[in-house]
Amino acid sequence: MLIVDKDLCVGCEVCVDNCAFGAITVIDGLAVVGDACTLCGACVDSCEVEALHIEGGEKSVQADLDSWSGVWVYCEFRAGLLAPVSLELLGIGRKLADARGVKLSAVLIGSDTGESAAKLIAHGADIVYRADNAALKYFTDETYGAVLTKLIQEHKPEVVLAGATAIGRSFIPGVANTLGAGLTADCTQLDIRADDGALLQTRPAFGGNIMATIVCPHSRPQMSTVRPNVMKALDTDASRSGELIDVDLEPAMLQAKVQVLESVISEHDDVNIQESDILVGGGRGLESEKGFDLIRELAKSLNGSVAASRAAVDSKWIGYPHQVGQTGKTVAPKLYIACGISGAIQHVAGMQSAETIVAINRDAEAPIFNVADFGIVGDLFEVLPKLISTIEGRQK
Amino acid sequence: MKIIVCIKQVPDAKDVRLDPETNTLAREGVQSIMNPYDQHALEEAVRLKEQLGGEVTVLSMGPPQAEEVLRQAISCGADRGVLISDRAFAGADTWATSYTLAKAVNKIGDFDLILCGKQAIDGDTAQVGPGLAIQLEIPFITCIQKVREADEKHLVMERMMDDGYDVVSVQYPVLLTVVKDLNEPRVPSLKGKMKSKKAKIEMLTAADVGADAACIGLAGSPTQVVDVFPPPPRGERAILTGNIDEQVEQLVAKLATYL
Repeated sequence: MLIVDKDLCVGCEVCVDNCAFGAITVIDGLAVVGDACTLCGACVDSCEVEALHIEGGEKSVQADLDSWSGVWVYCEFRAGLLAPVSLELLGIGRKLADARGVKLSAVLIGSDTGESAAKLIAHGADIVYRADNAALKYFTDETYGAVLTKLIQEHKPEVVLAGATAIGRSFIPGVANTLGAGLTADCTQLDIRADDGALLQTRPAFGGNIMATIVCPHSRPQMSTVRPNVMKALDTDASRSGELIDVDLEPAMLQAKVQVLESVISEHDDVNIQESDILVGGGRGLESEKGFDLIRELAKSLNGSVAASRAAVDSKWIGYPHQVGQTGKTVAPKLYIACGISGAIQHVAGMQSAETIVAINRDAEAPIFNVADFGIVGDLFEVLPKLISTIEGRQK
Repeated sequence: MKIIVCIKQVPDAKDVRLDPETNTLAREGVQSIMNPYDQHALEEAVRLKEQLGGEVTVLSMGPPQAEEVLRQAISCGADRGVLISDRAFAGADTWATSYTLAKAVNKIGDFDLILCGKQAIDGDTAQVGPGLAIQLEIPFITCIQKVREADEKHLVMERMMDDGYDVVSVQYPVLLTVVKDLNEPRVPSLKGKMKSKKAKIEMLTAADVGADAACIGLAGSPTQVVDVFPPPPRGERAILTGNIDEQVEQLVAKLATYL
């Protein structure tokens, strides 16, 4: 519980301003803590008279913290392809492993993984644990979870990273829960704390309105999922060497109660917008399904993919897999061009990590311009054709 | 069919704003709502009940005022509301929350199916659903976008993937998390509203469910927030000027590195 020392509190309200959860009120010159308190500790640090402290139940510290060593990356492989985020994670994983003076290992699970293990070594892995079996052709939480859980229990890595993809965000929480390990979702920054080597995991909260840094002080492994397109992959270095270990798979690990009958890859329409470097998003301002033709054309000219606001998806102009925002996908492309999107906070939450944001909207007061690096106030149906032809002209 | 739907009361995102002067969240006047994904989980539960018969229990963990979302769920077709609430839960991360919910589910009794929203819009972790299934030792499937077949024994469904979808089949018991493509939630009926007013919400505490003090709240949470800070500001913003042709030219020049 958050305890207020009544003798020390001066009722200055600094803690009220520092509470992101609106949990503190000052009544009769004294801070009072409400039910919304999450014990995040932001107020404790902010209090200038040290009147606040957190009293918790006694935490039991896992006895063998120091025997957990090494940085691991779960490298996603689906339908014959390594997910790009896997290589990005080996990039940050390499940095973390070097900072800790430990090895970087990749875990590859799937069927017919071919040359993937060599590719992971060329991108920074010292060791690849490969579980390649026909029974692992399709992803299931049970089989992939069983393989990763067993490997972690056997080899005891201190850090386990995975992409915050549909697959990573599904089975990694199950693995972490089985292990009793701390897991932080959707990290955008990872660092090693200098004094004790702990993993500092930073993620956006409240739709990106605040950032929170999270640690796992009492247990191992420390687990994180990381958003695609945030970390940088290392350049391929074919001269790198590493060790390939084929995992012994017990029959029980390959059994699942959930059966995958069919895997349908969307062919005509690129829906994996989280992996795209360039996204063109369309909103209510497009006025109709046909309006999206312009968005597709612009996306094509930029070699990018099509995104949409909730308004456009709710109007059935485009499918839900394209929706960006709080109830859709979170994306972090290099370039996001918002066309006819007003910029409601729910949409902005899903795209504000883009490197460069362009907004095109006829309403100069639209909030999208508050997050845009470049804005054009104008009619989409006039601006977009000109933009497309200018880009195409330049590429010739 | 015995179905349990997990529901969270969350602040309405459209009301949450960053105060530009203090860089803190201005939460005055922020309304509490039912987590949007959970509305779709509830709708699917009620549809399955209508098709196959049975009972829908809604379960929430939160402060006493979370009772409101349980009443709202009853007005939309749920039969029974259970709230697990205790000051000792404060500071719970997703592990401690899954543990606590599992204890509450065991108290509620037998079930065939548990439905949850994909994630809550205040935390966005998507970890409690899978965690709850692990605690209950049942299989789980996340991001269900369509139920193709449902009978007393099993379900055939589509789960959303990054590159399309997988068609999956499973027998009960199972826990599912759902995305909003799944269905269109109904609005409460007049009869439902009357029922929700009279409904008695069952209240549970940590002691009622036999929760181990070392597994709940801050003590039961492997993760700890050590710092909260405003996001780094974006660079200078520029509204381009000139006629449309000139603006387009300027924009394309600025975007040269991406072309």
